[in-house]
This record gives sequence, structure tokens and C-alpha cells, in this order.
Amino acid sequence: MKYFQPQSVEEALELAYTSEATFLAGGTDLVLHMRTGKVQPLGLIDLGKISVLREIKEIEGSLEIGSMATFAELGKSELVFRKAHALWQACQTMGSPQIRNQATIGGNLGNCSPAADGLPALLALGAEVCLSTKAGNEILPLESLLSRTPLLEQGTLIRGFRIPINGQKSGFAKLGRRKALAIARLSVAVSVEMNGSRIDNVRVALGAVGRRAFLSEALGQELSGQELNNELLEKGVLEVQRIVREALGTRASAPYKRVAVAGVFREALATIIPEGGK
Amino acid sequence: MIEIKLVVNEKPYNLNVEPSERLIDALRNRLGLLGTKEGCGEGECGACTIIMDGKTVNSCLVLAAQANGSVLTTIEGVGNRRSPHPVQKAFVEVGAVQCGFCTPGMVLSAKNLLDKNSHPSESEIGVAMSGNLCRCTGYDKILRAVKIAAEEGKQ
Ligand SMILES: Cc1cc2nc3c(=O)[nH]c(=O)nc-3n(C[C@H](O)[C@H](O)[C@H](O)COP(=O)(O)OP(=O)(O)OC[C@H]3O[C@@H](n4cnc5c(N)ncnc54)[C@H](O)[C@@H]3O)c2cc1C
Ligand code: FES
Ligand code: FES
Repeated sequence: MKYFQPQSVEEALELAYTSEATFLAGGTDLVLHMRTGKVQPLGLIDLGKISVLREIKEIEGSLEIGSMATFAELGKSELVFRKAHALWQACQTMGSPQIRNQATIGGNLGNCSPAADGLPALLALGAEVCLSTKAGNEILPLESLLSRTPLLEQGTLIRGFRIPINGQKSGFAKLGRRKALAIARLSVAVSVEMNGSRIDNVRVALGAVGRRAFLSEALGQELSGQELNNELLEKGVLEVQRIVREALGTRASAPYKRVAVAGVFREALATIIPEGGK
Repeated sequence: MIEIKLVVNEKPYNLNVEPSERLIDALRNRLGLLGTKEGCGEGECGACTIIMDGKTVNSCLVLAAQANGSVLTTIEGVGNRRSPHPVQKAFVEVGAVQCGFCTPGMVLSAKNLLDKNSHPSESEIGVAMSGNLCRCTGYDKILRAVKIAAEEGKQ
């Protein structure tokens, strides 16, 4: 197996094109998968020395996050705290301190486990993904990328994410530890625009309900343009339970998750409106 | 084989490693630093914790090649029998060590916390130690030892 440590994005893309090697970010998923034999890369392209991929910055009304930003870096960023609160919250509870120091947001998408904590938050925040290959760049909404199979073609680099900054408020909550009880994992991220007591542009995303994290456009529409009060909250709870029922069908975890999602949904909203989360 | 450069416990090394070789294996087998322990080998237990460029990582999940150019601290670089680190002293005084398998990782997580934050709150201590599991002590004494070491640092 070959091992490359490129110093620039261009060099990494060229290597991916010519060598068919696999991108390596933090390695918290990939190193384990190599050991169990789940993946057998022809080579590795270590992205760790490309410093532009780590940047977290505000540009022209957007928050730009490089794919190699770690959960620890995102979870300590003042900018992320203020402009992408749901993502900031997701970073506090992800893994352990050691995992957060190493695991990247790009790797979270690249591995795309059903329970990837970064993805519901990015979906709710309306993030776009920037992809690059040797042939060129592509920018698309994260929810569009998540409907592709395979997620990424060989040689496609996740460069980063772009989150619009428009005064939205957002929150994230999750249930369950990684291995303790796999069935107990579940996460919800919500983002809203507050106009007085009315909420607009509501986006609700769920994790660990089905194969990949997803955005529920129906639920977002249902809740948008309405007064935020207990009645709306309870309506949201019933809807989110219906979505979980539909997504999980007869799976063993379905009855448990249908009940649990109510609490997780309330908790995610509670960070947006502290008094609404009873 | 790939050639990498490391600084481990303030000593520079040039090593040839396999592309799939983990950092824990390079430290233990090539450098003979057996203080770093392998518990789960899956990132769950923190026994293999080391400090890499000022951050704690699980050396069972890092490839040696990824550490190229990095500055590392293992337990061998933190105090010794004659002059233990304040964290090590507190662990012994409080009785936070039973079988000792988790201790190197615990000490490194605690040391790194105190290097960054000499006045940690109880909850900051809890978070900093949350990636290290112990099968023996029930954590009480470990958390108490970290608190004592922090207080000692304040004086
Ligand atoms: C003990 C433990 C606890 C964990 N807890 C959590 C948790 O609570 N929540 C959670 O969400 N995850 C958790 N994880 C999973 C893992 O840490 C995350 O998925 C992490 O974000 C992966 O990032 P990485 O940088 O380590 O990726 P890597 O392992 O380096 O890569 C993962 C995959 O993505 C691809 N990839 C990486 N970067 C790019 C890129 N820029 N472009 C294209 N492809 C790329 C790689 O080729 C690989 O297929 C845990 C893992 C462990 C071991
Ligand atoms: S041995 Fe590395 S975390 Fe358990
Ligand atoms: S003292 Fe035995 S595992 Fe912690």
C-alpha cells in the first residue's frame, strides 16, 4: 500500500486521479475499518498537512468550514457558537475529547454512518457541500448529496461546507452513546428564523433514523409561518413521531425510537426557546 | 516503508514505518515505550492516550505516518520515580491506581488539561477525563486526584 502526504489540494486531487488511493482525514473511522478488513485501500492520501482545509471563517454572509476542521476545533469556535449553534452543540457531545481532537467534519460525511452527529446539524443549518475532483468543483445542498449512491465517486474530495448566516437560531439534541446500546442512538437538529413570535424557514433533520441522516421538508413546512407556542410544539412532536414511524417501519428499534424522539425533539427546540422545552 | 520524523518526549527520531502501522505500535515496538497501553484498540477506552502537538489522541486510531512532523508526549516523558508530576503524586496519595492499566492514559489526559487550564472547574475535569475508562476504581478517586493536582498547581 502506498502512502501520500500532499501539501496542497491540487496535489491531493492529482494523486487521487492517478493512484485510486483513498482519502485519509483523522482516521477514527478509516483506521478501524482497515484493521477489521471492512475496507482495503490501494493507498492512502493523508489530508492532514493541507492547512487550508482546516479553516473556519466568515465570508460574504456565509460561514465556511474546511473539511479537515476537527470536532474539537469547531466546538471551541466562537464563530460556530454564534452562527451555527446546532453544529456547535453536536460537537460538544460527539465521541470523547480524544476522538474530537482527531475526528473531522469531512470524515463524518465521508463515512456517513446513520448516526453521524455532524450531519443533522449541517442539514438543519442549510449547509452546502463543496466537492472537488481533478475535473472541477461542484457545490450542492447537503441533502442532495445525501440522496446519492454511492455518496462520492472515486477521487472526489470533500473540500468543505458553506452555511448561510441569516440570523437563524438552531439547536441539536441526541440520545444514546456510541456502543453502549446501538439501538438507543437518535439525534434531532432544528433551525428556525424568528420573526417576533412567529417562526419561518423551519428545518428539522434527524439522525440514526434510517440509513443516513435526512431533512424532513414536510415537517419544516408544517411548522413554518406559525406562532411558536406549546400547541405548535405538541403538533411538531406528533409529526416527528409519525416520521420516525414511517422511516423505521417494523424495525426492532421502532417502538422505542418513536417514543424517545419526542423528548429529543423537545430538547433540540429548548435550546432555541428556553421556555418552550418543557 | 515510509520515513517519518517525530519528536517523542523531547528526543528527535527518524523512523521507517509501514503505511498501515498504528502510532501505538510504532511507540511500543520500534521505540520500546511500553508505558502506552492498548486496551480496546477501538478508540473507546483511552488506555492508549498520548499528547500529540498539545492535544490528547488515542494512539490506537492514529497511523504512525499521520504523526509525521509531530511532537509527542508519552507517559515516559511525564515525571519519574524521583520527581513525579503533580498529577502522578496526587494519584498515588489518593489511591487512584489499582491495576494501573488505565493510569498512563489518565495521567496524560489530566496533565494536558492542567497545561491548558490551571484552574479547571469540576465539570471541566469531568469532560477532560471522559475519554478514559477505568475498570477498577469507580472514578471517584481519579477525579479527586486531578482536583488535588490542580489545587497544588494554584499555590
Ligand atoms: C470511539 C469512537 C466514538 C465515536 N463517536 C462518534 C459520535 O459520537 N458521533 C459521530 O458522529 N461519530 C462518532 N465516531 C465516528 C467518527 O469519529 C466520525 O465519523 C468522524 O467524523 C470521522 O472523521 P475522520 O476525520 O476520523 O475520518 P476518517 O476515518 O479519516 O475518514 C472516514 C471516511 O471518510 C472519507 N473521507 C475523509 N475525509 C474526506 C474528504 N475530505 N473527502 C473525501 N472523503 C473523505 C475517508 O476516505 C473515509 O472513507 C466515533 C468513532 C470512535 C472510534
Ligand atoms: S486502546 Fe486505544 S482507545 Fe482503547
Ligand atoms: S486502575 Fe485498573 S483500569 Fe483503572
